[in-house]
Amino acid sequence: MGTISIEHGNNLYWLGRYTERVFTTLKALQETYDKMLDGGVGYQAYLGYFDLPDIYGDSKGFFRSFLFDKDNFSSVAYSLERAYDNGIVLREDISSDAFSFLQIAKDTLKGAKGSENTRFALLPLEDVLYGFWGCIADNIYDEETKNIIYCGKSTERLDLYLRMKYPYEEVHKEFERLCIRLGRVPKNTPYRYNTRFLSDLVEIIGEENEYDLRAGAAVASLERLFESA
Amino acid sequence: MNENVLRGSADFTEAIGNAKEINELLRRYGVKFGIYKNGVFKEQFFPFDPIPRVIDAKQFAAIEKGLIQRVDALNRFLYDIYHEKKIVKDGKIPEDFIYISSGYLAQCEGITPKNRIYSHISGIDLVQGKDGEWYILEDNLRIPSGASYPLIARELTRIASPEAFRSNNIVDNRNYPDLLRETMDYVNCGGVRAILTPGRYNAAYFEHSYLAENTDSLLVRSDELFVENNMLWHKTYSGQKTRIGVLYRRISDEYLDPLTFLPESLIGIPNLMEAYRSGNVGIINAPGNGVADDKGIYYFVPKMIEYYLGEDPILRNAPTYLPFYKADMSYVLDNLDRLVIKDVAEAGGYGVVFGSDLDSEKLAGLKDMIMSQPRRFIAQDVIDFVDLPTLDEGQTVMRKADLRAFVLSGKTTRVWASGLTRFSRNPDSFVVNSSQGGGFKDTWVRSQ
Repeated sequence: MGTISIEHGNNLYWLGRYTERVFTTLKALQETYDKMLDGGVGYQAYLGYFDLPDIYGDSKGFFRSFLFDKDNFSSVAYSLERAYDNGIVLREDISSDAFSFLQIAKDTLKGAKGSENTRFALLPLEDVLYGFWGCIADNIYDEETKNIIYCGKSTERLDLYLRMKYPYEEVHKEFERLCIRLGRVPKNTPYRYNTRFLSDLVEIIGEENEYDLRAGAAVASLERLFESA
Repeated sequence: MNENVLRGSADFTEAIGNAKEINELLRRYGVKFGIYKNGVFKEQFFPFDPIPRVIDAKQFAAIEKGLIQRVDALNRFLYDIYHEKKIVKDGKIPEDFIYISSGYLAQCEGITPKNRIYSHISGIDLVQGKDGEWYILEDNLRIPSGASYPLIARELTRIASPEAFRSNNIVDNRNYPDLLRETMDYVNCGGVRAILTPGRYNAAYFEHSYLAENTDSLLVRSDELFVENNMLWHKTYSGQKTRIGVLYRRISDEYLDPLTFLPESLIGIPNLMEAYRSGNVGIINAPGNGVADDKGIYYFVPKMIEYYLGEDPILRNAPTYLPFYKADMSYVLDNLDRLVIKDVAEAGGYGVVFGSDLDSEKLAGLKDMIMSQPRRFIAQDVIDFVDLPTLDEGQTVMRKADLRAFVLSGKTTRVWASGLTRFSRNPDSFVVNSSQGGGFKDTWVRSQ
């Protein structure tokens, strides 16, 4: 419709963030689990990236909580509920088809909880999320609407990459993608970037040299990227 | 031919076999309604029964004619009541029934909505008696909901049972969004279309968002709107504004404008009524319609048809008694145990009491209440309306069902060739409302 209220703008941005958080959390947990198969680092390393205390007792408790516990703010289940909450008030913007993928994602996650092979049962969740993003790309004609969701998505992915100190190439690639999206946000809207914090990010992520030492500062700037100047 | 016998029955059975899958898909699309139980909001699935109600072309043509007549008369009545009140002056309706009605809004006196349409979307509840006759049970002229359910169900049933549609000449009902859009555009005062919702926690939120999606309308809440220069605007996130030309509000009259109705209300759009009165925005349905769908006024609708249109009513009311009239009062008191009593102030299946369910003590209590507040109640004969075949855990059982028909008034008055058939899931119940645990069916109208 090309007329976005403050509330809808907020919902669009957080829909992008939370849906992406479901995906990136899922991927990161799978990677952590995979490393642990060979006796590598434990789940504590994952907690360390996010400065979270170990209250889980063992890896089984950790994975169950981070996948399925809706009260754990860092879990896949929590993020999916929040994605759904944002999606349900955006039906007319994102389409019923896109919204239905969030319900399918919830059902898939619920089904995996009772499965004997959780990791295997979670594989379709990735497909569902790709389906969701396909609908977003295809069904939303208003570029401004779509771009807000994508800004949320990119911000979320970059946040995780920085926190987990992903290889520089990947961080840089994601940052470039975010910059393209930021460039499309009209002036005087809530998702117009704050020049100061964007400059900080350019300075930190623009140079490969010791970027990881300043990743924490980059996360802080990213958090304030949409603050009004 | 029995109305529920269809050609292509093999594939019709196939649709029944897919009941679980269709319901699963409806759930995925968020076809739910919200209810509050003990103060806690719960989203509840609205169970769909894939065995449709089928109405043949001839029968539908008669219903259609009767509904158009009824809604046209009701629109004339609303104009009259908020202007000259001829029908009261001519003694056809006692003024008590107008001014005591909680739906009558003095604030709407003298307002003439664009094209003189008050009830743009009317939800008329009917039942079919076992004698084949259709009876009107209720007129819903404020914010009737329910069209979206058969609309989305049809989409899925066509996939589940293509042969049933190929073989049975069923009128496609997927034109509802077009009808609604045309209805909105006919009273658009210049600007975009918008649907006003109370928000996600409203019982009918699915419908609000689904209709917004399918009519290409903005879905808005009152805090996103404001009136400036006597026009209604939508605030955008960039600080700009977009003019709203027609507002399909899904919010009660009293919450529309705190400066006109409830000053203590935190919701609503200040000065909306002034913009409306000035003809700068269309409001669908018009505020003040409650005076015409009051259960007490229902009794007088056949008289309205005669008065305004000079015609005999095509569709009958359920036989109704008004304790307000002495003769009716004695009849009601003498026959209370076989009548259904309705509190005119209640809706959604609440405030409905079957005399046959009450013991002598409760009957006596009800009699006292009727005698002390005669205007508060109406009494009706219990219509033994038809049961429809319904699936219940794989078995076909018979359940009571009504029909909510949707009548859209724009350039012409049209009846949507479909409707929401609600059924009781309780074998002993006549109450079909979703809030009381009922389910729904699609309504198939045959073209020949």
